[in-house]
Amino acid sequence: MLFSFDPRISRLELPESAPPPPDKAALDQFPTYEVFHQRKENTAYVYVGPVHAPEADVAFLFGKEQFSRRFPCTGMWVVPTEAIRVTEYGDDQQSVYDRLPLLPADALTTADAAGLEAYDIFHLKKRGKAHTHVGQVQAASPEAALQAAKAAFGDQRPVVNVWVIRSADLLRSDDDDRDMWTTTPDKKYREAIAYKVQDRIDRFKQER
Amino acid sequence: MYGSASTHDIPTQAATGLENEDPILLAEFEARIARGEKIEPTDWMPQLYRKQLTRMIEQHAHSEIIGSLPEGTWITRAPGFRRKMAQMAKVQDEVGHAQLLYSAAETLGKTREQMLSDLVNGKSKYSNVFNYPTPTWADSNVISWLIDAGAIVNQMANAKGSYGPYCRALDRICAEEAFHLKYGHDAVVHMATGTPIQRKMMQEALNRWWPAIMTFFGPSDKMSVHTEILMRWKVKMATNDACRQQFLDMYVPKIWEIGLTLPDPNLRKNEDGVWEFSEPDWEDFKRVINGDGPCNAERIAVRRAAEENGAWVRRAMQQPQARYVRPLA
Ligand SMILES: [Fe+2]
Ligand SMILES: [Fe+2]
Ligand SMILES: [Fe+2]
Repeated sequence: MLFSFDPRISRLELPESAPPPPDKAALDQFPTYEVFHQRKENTAYVYVGPVHAPEADVAFLFGKEQFSRRFPCTGMWVVPTEAIRVTEYGDDQQSVYDRLPLLPADALTTADAAGLEAYDIFHLKKRGKAHTHVGQVQAASPEAALQAAKAAFGDQRPVVNVWVIRSADLLRSDDDDRDMWTTTPDKKYREAIAYKVQDRIDRFKQER
Repeated sequence: MYGSASTHDIPTQAATGLENEDPILLAEFEARIARGEKIEPTDWMPQLYRKQLTRMIEQHAHSEIIGSLPEGTWITRAPGFRRKMAQMAKVQDEVGHAQLLYSAAETLGKTREQMLSDLVNGKSKYSNVFNYPTPTWADSNVISWLIDAGAIVNQMANAKGSYGPYCRALDRICAEEAFHLKYGHDAVVHMATGTPIQRKMMQEALNRWWPAIMTFFGPSDKMSVHTEILMRWKVKMATNDACRQQFLDMYVPKIWEIGLTLPDPNLRKNEDGVWEFSEPDWEDFKRVINGDGPCNAERIAVRRAAEENGAWVRRAMQQPQARYVRPLA
């Protein structure tokens, strides 16, 4: 039996050694969702990172725990990784919109209003930074949405990379639930600023 | 905690394989890094870059998750409610760091499933310092302050590296570490400036941990072709010796100012501003990292038990389409 300095671990009666377990099966850890947060009211949503989850609601919970636990947050969006249409990556200083192949004009205009859907557009301004929400466009397909995004936001630069997400695929926090983000300020012990140790050191030095 | 290209490995003289790479793509890749631009997951990259980064980020992730175990065992025994809360928050942060880092490593092509399997089957390593025990609360405090301090030296350097996803994860991690460092320092100062018994307890814990701390950044880098390439590609951002010097410079004075001593008679800063110290026992380091340390078996066994105990939850969650059906008769 395994002995530990922690009595609770000794009580688990784990074997001292055991043959390694078989490798995990595929998807034992679930697929991934990408998470965006809003750090302050009326600011753009920004990409914060992925979470592994079996479905969107759980992804939202994990995202909330992982990305809003320690820092201010006023809203969160999650989307299945697979639902994001990603462009090529350009160099820092360039715009990937410049490289978009032009679709024939009728491919964009023939769709009647009934066939249009909302798409959310995110830009990466610099490699290594995070994608930021720039706005919504109406389009009939992700490809058409990208063209519409070029018309609407193509003057911004640089644009290293664009993410196009069908708005219906984003799970968004509800404005009515805004008080779910207000727990952070109570937990002062998680802030570096709560630890004022210098007084104690100075007193100690004086007494010596 | 704990990222470094060679912290957890004995350096090897493996072939670089660069002669098999497409010279034009390689030149573009190197030019991008030289311009100060980051590499993103879909960019072309040399095999060696992918392999070293995967290993480094994966080991960093394992170190976070295993590193949370020795501090985690002290949550219920931490003195006072406030310290329990703070210790719990810190441990939760460390596990969160592992999540961020596993995802960053996954962008390079290795699945989280495979990384978690390789942790328990021993194919991949984690920071060797966690193969030592924390017999007292003071030992936990030494980890919170000084192991995290060492980790921060590494992480701040790596945050300036060339791989986008790793940088994004590290920016977030570094922001959280500020609390760990202050919390750890506060805990150590509290003990060191407390009653004679508290003080003795802290000194003894420091004496136990110092040899491991001196190995934290790994052996001196042999300036091989390998090291030179990894530094040019901004995978490795500083040599192990440079990190160790920076750590000693920042923290030895802070240890001394609260009247604690360090168990190395040769430790001093010379006229050139360089720290001198007794060479750590690298043979012992090798022995422990290869499995023969006081806590290797416990760390892996606990990690494995956690995986096995959580399996039913994961299985249940994978069946969200299951519906209640009323019996027929
Ligand atoms: Fe950490
Ligand atoms: Fe730590
Ligand atoms: Fe930490």
